[in-house]
Order: sequence, then structure tokens, then C-alpha cells
Amino acid sequence: MREFEDLDRVLLFLVLVIFLIGLCCIWSASNNRGLEIMERFVTRQAFWMLIGLVILLPLFVLIDYQKIIDFGYVMYVLGLLLLCLVLVMGRIRLGAQRWFSIAGFSVQPSEFYKIIYIITVTSYLGHTRSEIATARGLIVPLLLTVLPFLLIIAQPDLGTALILIPVFFAMLFVAGARVLHLLGLILMGVGASPLFWHCLKAYQKKRLLVFLNPDIDPLGAGYTVIQSKIAIGSGGLFGKGWLAGTQNQLNFLPERHTDFIFSVIGEEWGLLGAVVLIGLYCWLLKRGIMIIEGTTDIYGKLLGTGIITMLSFQICVNIAMTMGLMPVVGVPLPLMSYGGSSLWTTIIAIALLLNVGMRRTRF
Amino acid sequence: MRIRVISNLIVVMACALCAGLVYTQIVNYKKYATLSLTNRVRLVPIEGMRGNFYDRNGIRLVDNRPSFDVIVMPQELENSMTTLSRVAALVGMQPRDIFASVEKNYTAPFAPITVKEDIDKKTAITLEEQAFSLPGVMVKATPKREYRYRDAASHIVGYVGEISKDELDRLRGYGYQMRDRIGKTGLEKQYDNYIRGEEGGMQLEVNNRGYFIKSLGTKEAVAGKDLFLTVDIRLQQYIDELFAGKAGACVVMDVRTGEVLALVSRPGFDPNMFADRERSGEVTALLGDPSHPLLNRAAAGTYPLGSVFKPIVAIAALEKKKISADDRFYCGGTYTLGGQLFNCWDEEGHKDQDVREGLKNSCNVFFYQVGRLVGIDDMSSFAQRFGFGTPTGIDLPGEASGFVPNRLWKRLAKKEPWFEGDTVNLAIGQGYLLVTPLQVGRMMAAIGNGGNLVQPYLVRRIGDVEVHTIKSRPIGISKKCLDIVKGGLRRVVEDDSGTGRRARVEGLRIAGKTGTAQDPSGPSHAWFAGFSPVDDPRIAVVVCIEHGGKGGLEACEFASAVFKKAREVGLL
Repeated sequence: MREFEDLDRVLLFLVLVIFLIGLCCIWSASNNRGLEIMERFVTRQAFWMLIGLVILLPLFVLIDYQKIIDFGYVMYVLGLLLLCLVLVMGRIRLGAQRWFSIAGFSVQPSEFYKIIYIITVTSYLGHTRSEIATARGLIVPLLLTVLPFLLIIAQPDLGTALILIPVFFAMLFVAGARVLHLLGLILMGVGASPLFWHCLKAYQKKRLLVFLNPDIDPLGAGYTVIQSKIAIGSGGLFGKGWLAGTQNQLNFLPERHTDFIFSVIGEEWGLLGAVVLIGLYCWLLKRGIMIIEGTTDIYGKLLGTGIITMLSFQICVNIAMTMGLMPVVGVPLPLMSYGGSSLWTTIIAIALLLNVGMRRTRF
Repeated sequence: MRIRVISNLIVVMACALCAGLVYTQIVNYKKYATLSLTNRVRLVPIEGMRGNFYDRNGIRLVDNRPSFDVIVMPQELENSMTTLSRVAALVGMQPRDIFASVEKNYTAPFAPITVKEDIDKKTAITLEEQAFSLPGVMVKATPKREYRYRDAASHIVGYVGEISKDELDRLRGYGYQMRDRIGKTGLEKQYDNYIRGEEGGMQLEVNNRGYFIKSLGTKEAVAGKDLFLTVDIRLQQYIDELFAGKAGACVVMDVRTGEVLALVSRPGFDPNMFADRERSGEVTALLGDPSHPLLNRAAAGTYPLGSVFKPIVAIAALEKKKISADDRFYCGGTYTLGGQLFNCWDEEGHKDQDVREGLKNSCNVFFYQVGRLVGIDDMSSFAQRFGFGTPTGIDLPGEASGFVPNRLWKRLAKKEPWFEGDTVNLAIGQGYLLVTPLQVGRMMAAIGNGGNLVQPYLVRRIGDVEVHTIKSRPIGISKKCLDIVKGGLRRVVEDDSGTGRRARVEGLRIAGKTGTAQDPSGPSHAWFAGFSPVDDPRIAVVVCIEHGGKGGLEACEFASAVFKKAREVGLL
């Protein structure tokens, strides 16, 4: 297998390092000095990673990404059906209907749908390359985006839905769309935002308002952000040490093993740990950019762009959110946050990147 | 290439995040570190035990006994409904009362809630035995103030209660806090600062729900200082019983030092009821009682003095040379002044008397004449020299000053000049004069000890420190003059025709003066004030029985019993 010479081992290594850091944080987050002990989080996360590395990664690396792209539309439609289905018979948790219950595990279809979406848009933009510079060429991609966007918003899962927007723009941009057209779309989006605001659930509106001023509701919607800021801020330069973060250990931080895992790093490992983690993410993204730059295939470029944009956007929004620099929208931190759906989605995304990188010389 | 733009954007975002981290973790570090600390550390106060009270013989008057309280730890409570219902059944409460109590007093999961105070020992043991099946329910022995002599010394010791808002505003700077217990009256209030223990505390680490995780440190509470009183509780208790339902006051004082040996005010109250939540009904009744049991009549009750004032008039007359020891005045039973008739208490009159006989007979007509010779100005100033009109300075809160009238006061307050009729009235202790029994005791002590006005006091030692130095100042009355008056007072008791002969005690030499003070609101108040032994006085006794009729009867017999008891307990 000649392709394996081009397998980006550094990228794979970075994935493992970040995952292991994440596992340490989950351990700390579940090693609660208070009441419930949740050690199963660590074993479950490791178990999912194992499946990811043994099944998903080989699967999505070995099958040529071109073949996967060919199935784009089929997966797109099937995915939409699943998104509809979860609205009807999904499990309700934390006021949202996002999960299927399968054999005791919760599966979040919207997570996986991000990948399907990227593949489908890649497929369309690849076929209609010549029309991309025209305004008409943007209509179908726009429709492709709006459908899942609305379905995911309806769950509601604001964070996942919002990720589709930068991915959409980045892929059009790299595909060669005119900047003027893109600016026009953005203006339209801003113009429609009052309508969008109207459609938001009350708790989502509250979150946005709380973002503007967390102190309006310090024990309710603002509580998480305030506690997260206290956790990160009290970490200081060197942090309080592993398993010694009081905000984390004493349960002041809600959702600390999932969306707010970065606060645990910030509190226990300090500024140094947090900056090192951001550095590792940058390195990982840099390897991704190098793969995109290394391939001459437009499908590979578009697929890579979608994935890199998705990952970087998630990382940035998540970290900014824990510091109170962005509203709390429920975006997991890739490879760090506890959760099988999110982890597998990231693994598949990385696998597709590696896939593109391995096959860059064939064309 | 356009991918470069995205790549650069990623770098910009990473830099922005790092800048945000520096801002949060370095610039604002102090702020968040403090917040994190206050998040997780709670301070739980431990009450310091209040000091005990002992009488002059070391008999314990007030202390703290263990009260078995049922407490609930909210964070350890399981199946709160069934558990609390079972507790309710065991301690004999309604389940809904116990639920209400838990709900009302809940402050934090780690803060124990007292649901029932002072259960009996047997129930406590039963509860302890079942502790295993009653998670979160405990029996805790807490110190409870116990006033061993109940109402016998109620006005001396006072009682404690939760600090009020006013007190807190005033005392916050002195380490008092919300929900502290503080002395409300009596010595509990006067010496609260010494008696109260120093509060200790526990630093607890808690989690987000406020549940206790571990203890970070404990500062032990320090017990308050003990008070050692001048009072003899045996005498105090005896006097208390002597009142037998009547209202009034009695003070027994050491004439040389001002030590208060007994200070009784009736009706009294049981200070224990203030420490008992379940007796709040009694407290309410007490506060509304028309006979004012909470009023310390000995120090804060003001009365007309009646004839007990006559020795002052006699002293003023002798000192001012208005009369000499042998000057005689005639009493025909009545005295006419400006067409108005003033009676002597004895219609038949006392005939010819010198000052000693005047005192012995308590002759009004004698003192009408002598009083007019002295005049209002000197009478008023001598009354003040004997301490009337100003608080005695006893170590009790809320003492009254009483009132001594004078010319200027009458002009200003009544818009009238001072009339000779007023002088005549004042000469027999009637009219505007108001005194406290304690002031009368001090006056008698001054006559007995040769003219020194002492400051009465109740506490001689706080902890290991002797606190009271004897405070007395000479009034400036000649010994000769005092001896004449003492001679008169001795005859009041010792002469068979003396008005105070009923105060006599076999084997004791007593001098004194009776008084029957007219009160417009009802029957006269009966007074007796005296000292013993006559030649080298040691104690002074004042008895005031509200609406007790003639001083020569009941008050004298009362005083006689007090002197006898004082001798029995070794004070004479």
C-alpha cells in the first residue's frame, strides 16, 4: 500500500496527545470530592476512542474519499430523515430533543450530520465548479445548508447549527465564489436575524442576554459562565494542580466534563497548560492546512477546508465561551469533551483529512 | 491561495484566545482567586459558653446545663418525610410542626437545624439507639442557661435573649453578631461583655450545593468569665418568700462597703422561660402583666418615701443649727398653716418632744415645725447630699434617679412659687419627693456608717479579678449630729412606745425608721429602713411593701424577719 507513505503520522500523534490530555481532564472532572463518583466517564471515553481508532479511523482512511463523496447525496437525504426522526422520537435531555437512545447509549445525529453536510457540499461544489463564480451557483449550496440548519435549530441545538454557517462560507470561498456574493449573503443573514431571534427558544434568548451581562442571573443562566470564569481565572499562571481545582472538584462547575472541559484545564493546569493546549490545536490545524495545500484535487481541498473550518470554529467558540467571551451555545471541544458522538465525529473528520493527504499524488 | 486566508484567520483567533487567557488568568487573577475561595469556604461559628454566677459563699446561681436538643443535618437526611415523621413520634411532636421547623430554619445543608429543644434523657437515649436508622438526625447536648434559683434572684441576674436590631447596631463594633445571645436585663446585661464567651469557629470546605466536604480548621470557643456576687442567696431566697404574693422591694446592704447582700423585687419572673422556646407564651403573658414583674422595683421603682425622710430633716436642722438636740416642740395632734389644717398621724398629739422623741414618735407636727425652720432650700440640698435624685451607680442597668423637688423646679414645671405648704409636706416625706428603695438603703447606710455615701454594688469579682474597690464619699455631716439622729432611730425600735418596735429582734440592737407613704392611686406604701447593730452598724435593711398600709406594722415585722435571717446566715 503505497499511500501509507503519505499518512500524516504527526497529525495522528497530535490527535492522540490531545485526546490523552482530555482524558486526564475528564478523570479529574469526574474524580469528584463531593458526592457522586463518575469514573465511568473515563472508561467510556477511552472505550469510544478505542472503537474510533480500531474501526472508524481505518474505515474512513482506507476507503478512497472520492468514493465516499459519491455517496454524499444519499447520506444527505438519509441524514435529513434521521434529523426529522429525532425530532419525533428522540430522547429529551436538558430541554432539548437531540439524542437517540440505542442500547443505553445516547447518539446525537446532528454531530455526525456536520460531516455528511461537508461531504455533500463538497460533492456539489466539485461538480459545478464552473458556476461557482455566479450568483445562481450559490442557490443550491444555500438550500443544502438551510434544510439541516433549520432541523438542527428545531431540536434545539444552536451550537451545532451555527457551525454550518462558517463551514458554508469557507467552502464557497475556497471553491472560488466571489467575495462580493458572499458579503451579500452575510448581509442577507444579518437582515434576517430579527426573524431568527424570534424563532429562538426562551432559554436560548436568555443565554444570549446573559452573555451580554452574566450578572443578571448569577444563579441561573449566568451561573455556568461565572463559575467557569472563576475556575479559569483562579488557575493563574501555573494552575492549582491536577485533581486540585476546587471549582472543579467541589462541583461548582456544571457540565465540566463535556462543554466546559477547558475550564478544568484552565483551573488545574493554569495559563501554561491552556496555552500549550491551544498550541497543540494550532499545530493540528496547521497539519490539516498543509494537507489541503498539498493536494491538487478540488474535492480534497473542499473536504479539507470544511473539516478544518468545522474544527477550528468549534475549538475557538468553545474556549471563548468558557472564558465568557462568547455566548454559551453548547459546542463541544474536539477530542477533549466527553461524549461519543462528538469524539467519533472528530475521528471521522480527522480520518477524512488523512485520507485526502494520503491520496494527493494520484491525480 | 484562498486557503491561506483561512489559515491566517486561525492564527488570529488563537492569538485572541491566548490574550483572553492572559487577561483572565494573569490580570484578573486576584479577583477570581478570591471568588474561588469564598465559593468553597464557609465559616460556622461555635458559641462560647457564658460564665457562671456565684453568690458570696460560692453557691452557684446561674450556669449552663446540657440540654438535649434534636438536630437535623439537612445534607445527611434521607427520606426526609418518613425520617422526620418517626422523629416527631418519638419526641411527641406533630409531624407538620417538625417539617415547618426544618423549612423555616434552613440556612445551608451543613448547618444543623434544631427541631426540638431539651428532650428528656430517656428520649435522647432512645433516639441515639435508633440513630443508625435515622440518618441526618442527631441528639446534641448544647449548653443551656439555667437559673437555679428561678425567680428568687430574677432582677439581679436578668436573662438572655437573641440580640435585637438596635443592640446589634450599637454593638457590632464590639464583636457582636446576628443571632448572638445577649444579656437583656440585670447582671446578664451589665456584664455581658465579660460573661459572654469568645466565639470560636470552624472553617469548612463545601461543594457547590453547600455540602460539607472537610474541615479546614477549628478555633475553639473560649468560655466567658464567671461572676462572683456580693449577694447571699440564702438571705435573698428567704426575703423572696417573705413577700408571699405581695408587691414591693427589699434591699439589704453592707453599710461600710455598699455590698448588696440581697436585692429583692416582687413580683418576679422565672428567667428560665426566656431560654425555652416552648415557653414563649409565658413570656408574652409576662410582658403584658399589669403588675410589671420585669420591673426591678428596688433600683428602678420610684415611690414617695413618707416618714423615712424625717431623719434627713432632723439632720439638716441640727447641722444648720436651726435646732439643738434639746430644743422641744409641742404636738397637739394638728398643725395650722395659713388657715389649712395639717394632721399628725396620732390625733391625740405627742405633746412636748425633743428631736429624738420626734423621730421615735414619727411626729408629723414636730417635723412640720422643724421643716419650716430648715426651709425648702436646705431640705432639698440635704436630700441630695444623701443621694436622692441621682442614681446610686449600682452595677445594674436601668436604674432610676428618683426626684427631689426644689423652688426653681416648681417655678419652671408647675408655674407656681414654692408654698410653705409644700415645705410642710416635704418635711414628712410627702409631696413631690420620689425615691428608689436602693437610695433609701444607701441613706440608711450613710447614717449608720458615720456619714459616708457608699456606692452599692453586686459583683465583687469577675473571673480572677477583684473588680470592686469601695467607693464612698463623706457627706460632711458632723458625728455629733449623726449620733443624735441615730439615738432617735434606735429609740424608734427599742422604745416600747417606738413606732418601729415591731422590728425588734431578740439580741440585736437595731435602729430604723418607719414610713407610711400616701399614694393617690391606692392604699399607702409601707416602709421600714434601718440598720444594725446600732453602735457599729454592719447592715442596712430597707423594706418597701406596695400598698402595705402602715409602716409600723407589716414592714417592721418584715424587716425584723430579715434581720433575724441575716444573723442566722452570719451577716450580723
